[in-house]
Amino acid sequence: MKVGLLGLIVTASLLALVPVPASGQSAAPKAPPYNPPRTEDGQPNLEGIWQPRTSGAAFSILPHAGGFFLGGGSETGVVEGGTLPLQPWAAAKAKELTQHMELDPTGHCHYEGIPHANYFPFQIFQTPKYIAVLYENMHARRIIYMDGSPHPRDYLAWMGDSRGHWEGNTLVVDVTNNNDKSVFDMAGHFHSDVLHVVERFTPVDKDTINWEATIDDPKVFTKPWKMKFPLKRAPQDFEMLESGCFEGERDAEHLVEGLATVPKDHYTEKEKEKEK
Amino acid sequence: MVKELKSAFLLVAIVAALLATSSPASAQAIRPKLGPSYVAPRTPDGKPDLQGIWETRNAAAFDVSEVAEGHEIPYLPEALDREQKGPRVDPIAHCKMPGVPRITYMPFPFQIMQRPGYVVFMYEYLHDQRIIQTNSRPHIDGIDLWLGDSVGHWEGNTLVVDVTNLDERSWLDSARHTHSDALHVVERYTRTGPNTINYEATIEDPKTYTRPWKISMPLYRNTEPGFELREQECTEGDNGRPIHPLYRPAPKGDPLELTREYPVKKETSK
Repeated sequence: MKVGLLGLIVTASLLALVPVPASGQSAAPKAPPYNPPRTEDGQPNLEGIWQPRTSGAAFSILPHAGGFFLGGGSETGVVEGGTLPLQPWAAAKAKELTQHMELDPTGHCHYEGIPHANYFPFQIFQTPKYIAVLYENMHARRIIYMDGSPHPRDYLAWMGDSRGHWEGNTLVVDVTNNNDKSVFDMAGHFHSDVLHVVERFTPVDKDTINWEATIDDPKVFTKPWKMKFPLKRAPQDFEMLESGCFEGERDAEHLVEGLATVPKDHYTEKEKEKEK
Repeated sequence: MVKELKSAFLLVAIVAALLATSSPASAQAIRPKLGPSYVAPRTPDGKPDLQGIWETRNAAAFDVSEVAEGHEIPYLPEALDREQKGPRVDPIAHCKMPGVPRITYMPFPFQIMQRPGYVVFMYEYLHDQRIIQTNSRPHIDGIDLWLGDSVGHWEGNTLVVDVTNLDERSWLDSARHTHSDALHVVERYTRTGPNTINYEATIEDPKTYTRPWKISMPLYRNTEPGFELREQECTEGDNGRPIHPLYRPAPKGDPLELTREYPVKKETSK
């Protein structure tokens, strides 16, 4: 009953809020597209420290209730349409993985991989030949080569291999060579070693980049799918500090099979209905 | 005829002699001076250009006294005693970051990137990174970090990096040369040629050493065409339980080709 009431309040407030800006927008003339400042060599300048607004994607990329391991809840998640086109075996495995948090690679201080690393603050540096993205979390890093060079062969990595190009003001990054060990979140959503991610970083105002990714993995999904969230510029006095993560095996004793599980009400009603 | 030959020979001899004496001088004039007086190319904002992929070629990671001035580390007696009683397992064996200056001479390449106001070090080893501002800002307060807090400034041709806030648990090498939380390192990076940097670090720690001491070594540019830093991950086998083998063999073929085929849907539409 309490949940129902909360739902009513949320719905009511959404109903109250949404139409106002919508009608305002339809009346106003269309704003010209944002033209970002340029670097010395003419690239759209995306440099700075960016903080993603991910609606708790690190916990689950799908709509999820809040809870101990799932942090704050999110009604939308970051996946377009709110569901994943999982193949039946993959859906079963994902569900099983939620009961095995001890296998979560981030719990073992591994690189998160792409897109998972993007859920945490990072700093972008742009040089004429490459763009470096340095993440605070796990002190992860990737170098996006912009010189048109091909992906390497016979090499798999946690962070994959990133090669990029510009489409207008949008930085498009092609990520392949991913290993099959990184995951999308803590809710059991995984991928295989043929994962192919195409990311699009589009600056929309001086403090916002719209980030969007197409996830392509025919071993796990039935079709490609999309996820997106905005990145906000960090306040000027922010600096990237060191995140060590691996301070020794003091947590090993806590990584007991089945100890940490996803709350039972994790999956939304919509998904439960689908399963029936 | 003979006379002509003789004069021709003489001419050749004179020219040869002239060439022999003048060529070193002219070659020197063309070749840029190497060594400390070498003038490095500049970045667009006028700073010495240190960018590229660099590596050391020595055994300092195993014993730093190899590259110490006088091959000696001036220990205080009580520090030696502390070292004897301290941990005996190299922290890097537990995948901890190696600290500064050890990260420089780990036997892995690293890449230097420069942007206005920044020099960024990206190390292949443990995907470590140092984002160094060259604005001489004050050091951060109250936190010790494995790679410390680095603040930079330029002195002519030299990048000077002042490093404090270093975690007392890191070692200087795998020969168990240790330090305390009072460690203060001043690094100096000076280009000495197109493919060399002279690296020098002054190591100061009044709780461990009788006086500041110096290490120095050349850094060599990796000139292999197309060479790129790769991923080096350390925690692959934490707890002695191999979970994620490093560098699994990649699927054969073009990584993009591999992702184009989706399984055909069993049910056809309508």
